[in-house]
Amino acid sequence: MSEMLIKNATVYDPINNINGDKMDIAVKDGKIVDSVTGSAQTIDAGGRLVYPGGVDAHTHIAGSKVNVGRIMRPDDSRLNNKPRTKVTRPRTGYTVPNVYSMGYGYAEMGYTTAFEAAVPILKARHTHEELEKIPIIDKGGLTLFGSNWMVMDAIREDDLDRLAAYVAWGLLSSRGWGVKIVNPGGGEAWGFGKNVSGLDDPVPNFEVTPRQIIRQLAEANEKLNLPHSIHLHCNNLGKPGNYETTLATFDVCKDIKSKRDRQSLHVTHVQFNAWGGNHWGDFESKAEPIADYLNKNDFLTIDMGQLVFGSATTMTADGPVQYANARLLKARWSNGDVELEDASGVTPLEYHPQSYIHGIMWAIGLELALLTKDPWQVLMTTDHPNGGPYVNYPMVMTMLMSKKRREKEIAKIAEKTFERTSIAGIDKELDWYDIAIKTRATHAKVLGIVEHGKGHLGVGADADIAIYDIKPDETDATTEYDKVEAAFRYAAYTIKGGEIVVKDGEITATPTGKTFWVKSTAPADGYDRMMEDLKMKFKNYYSVSMANYMVQDEYVEHPYVVETGYQ
Amino acid sequence: MQTITLVPKEQFKISVEAETITPDNFAGKSADEIGALVAYEGNAPRPLSELFDIKVDGSADAADDVKIEINGNVNRVKRIGEAMTAGLIMINGDVDMRCGAKMKGGTITIKGDADSWVGQEMSGGEINVQGDANYYVGAGYRGESCGMRGGKITVFGNANDFVGEHMCGGEIIIKGNAGIMPGVSNKGGKIVIDGDTDMPGSEMTKGTIIVKGTVKDLVPVYQREGIEAVDGVEFTKYIGDVVVDGVGELFVK
Repeated sequence: MSEMLIKNATVYDPINNINGDKMDIAVKDGKIVDSVTGSAQTIDAGGRLVYPGGVDAHTHIAGSKVNVGRIMRPDDSRLNNKPRTKVTRPRTGYTVPNVYSMGYGYAEMGYTTAFEAAVPILKARHTHEELEKIPIIDKGGLTLFGSNWMVMDAIREDDLDRLAAYVAWGLLSSRGWGVKIVNPGGGEAWGFGKNVSGLDDPVPNFEVTPRQIIRQLAEANEKLNLPHSIHLHCNNLGKPGNYETTLATFDVCKDIKSKRDRQSLHVTHVQFNAWGGNHWGDFESKAEPIADYLNKNDFLTIDMGQLVFGSATTMTADGPVQYANARLLKARWSNGDVELEDASGVTPLEYHPQSYIHGIMWAIGLELALLTKDPWQVLMTTDHPNGGPYVNYPMVMTMLMSKKRREKEIAKIAEKTFERTSIAGIDKELDWYDIAIKTRATHAKVLGIVEHGKGHLGVGADADIAIYDIKPDETDATTEYDKVEAAFRYAAYTIKGGEIVVKDGEITATPTGKTFWVKSTAPADGYDRMMEDLKMKFKNYYSVSMANYMVQDEYVEHPYVVETGYQ
Repeated sequence: MQTITLVPKEQFKISVEAETITPDNFAGKSADEIGALVAYEGNAPRPLSELFDIKVDGSADAADDVKIEINGNVNRVKRIGEAMTAGLIMINGDVDMRCGAKMKGGTITIKGDADSWVGQEMSGGEINVQGDANYYVGAGYRGESCGMRGGKITVFGNANDFVGEHMCGGEIIIKGNAGIMPGVSNKGGKIVIDGDTDMPGSEMTKGTIIVKGTVKDLVPVYQREGIEAVDGVEFTKYIGDVVVDGVGELFVK
């Protein structure tokens, strides 16, 4: 029986309404408990900052597109190289780190959970093989449904039970956690070199609209009572003027009701979707109307997709946007076709502060987070590695906490940026509690993993704890941002499942985390109709047979299965 | 003036990654201090004193007053002079890959042959190769958008394929012949080849290539501009690569 006591901690645990209380945290057998015996291992936090282990609800850490990124970017794999130590394997890469480094990098920052945000079912075996090898952190994957033939056929024939049955089967087949929708319909249209232009532009050959796809998948999601809501990457991403599409998309799910205590729509990396103007010449920020909408409606959450200047590797199931990016920037481009399920693309690029386009994008992410009143509604992400690599989270946190830090960055950015954004005039500064919400609590809540012990430090929760080398009482985050960033970058301690995995920023142990996935029941008659259609599709269209397609248990050696049912 | 003489203790069989051998790292240090610097032999870290006999004469405050002389065979020693900013390195023999990579200033003279990627991504300084140079003279690392950015490389012998690939600035002079596609994907800089070559340029957006010898074959992506004299010698001038809207200049006899 392993026991641990963290003494004299300054704890911020928003899910349990703990705001900077001085307290001790007791751990037994990997869980938080009320008290421990006198023989417990003791860590004296000495008044330092203690958060629940960080949770990242949207990142790209595993799967074929990450590997394509690695193959395309040998130049990236010579950045950040670290030789092996007694406990770690060698590390390479900045935007697309090697598999081991993915886990080490998160753990160093006090993060203990990360969800891969785009898993095509066809590529799920590979994704899980990689996830299994990412050390330390707990993981999960969101399964792509937005341009899937099975989905679109069921929607056209208005058969919600069949759709729900397919979603349940797809989550099982991919060992997935939730429903991800990327540019609904666009991935299929891209197979013909086209895209969909908005919510009501029908998908070629399927005659369903993105609006129907979003709406029906959201309904199916709630019928199956899944822990997470639909997770949506909007249409028209990456195009000036797309904020109108984004606002219209919010409305599609306005009256969807969830039985769970969570949002009924999560819209991801909204920075890329809050763009005004008609072309690059009059490109401007439209974060304000988006934030306004969020302030008036509580059924949805978003994440920032904050841009970080420097190197990025963009990777998405949104095939057409990547083609446009590569042509615009004369960058390298890789294109993927995932048979009946989606498309994909990978393009490396560089964000320059002297480009006002990139400057405005940088500003939009922060505006979204700062103009939205409820901190629970906007998650801090960089859409790693699309907006920038996750190792920059500490810098983004300081920008949210300090106007001075933002001003320092603003000084480097093209002036035109500030005619077209309001970032320079925003005085709001987040506190330690808000940051705990934005980097762990709301991520866990949005994903629906709070009840499974993530994102908080209540009794019974997993003992995932981050201790940072900074004392909130004695630190003014608005001016001492360098100190805060350094503390967040390398945790004094990261404790994962009751085990010390990082001490003074060095990895000390590399346990294997678990993989969350959802097993859902489906209505029997819908299931039968779905199976009939699915068998036909495998027979006629897929390049693999169904038996060689589904993820088997052998691929997920450390599963955490959550069962839910059709209602 | 500080002169450091390095003599390898053996003929290395496994390649040594010796980016620590630079005037910047050696300046003002004693033989013992230099000997304590680490190079990797394969995957094993080794102090330089285990790999080389080290002799130090005189002393210097800064790198520009340092001369490193390497005697003996270092044809399995890579990355000598990496990122150096000043000073002088004399290699009295052949040298392995990536000599003078990311160099910012100073001079490297190689009496023998240089292996591939000599002067990779250098931005200043000068490299003289008195023998031949292998592939990718002054090129970029795989996937890097810019190769050489500044400075000068002179190869007195022949060079192999892809001289100055992805070059963005600086100057490369090949006194002998060059292999295929010198200046491929160039974005700037100047390449002068005194001897023969084959298929110069292509995917070139900017920069200048002058070939004084014979060009066996020309990639059909250049537009003929007419006859123009360079330093009193008449060349046929081409502009391209037109496929990528390039404005690079190619001068062919």
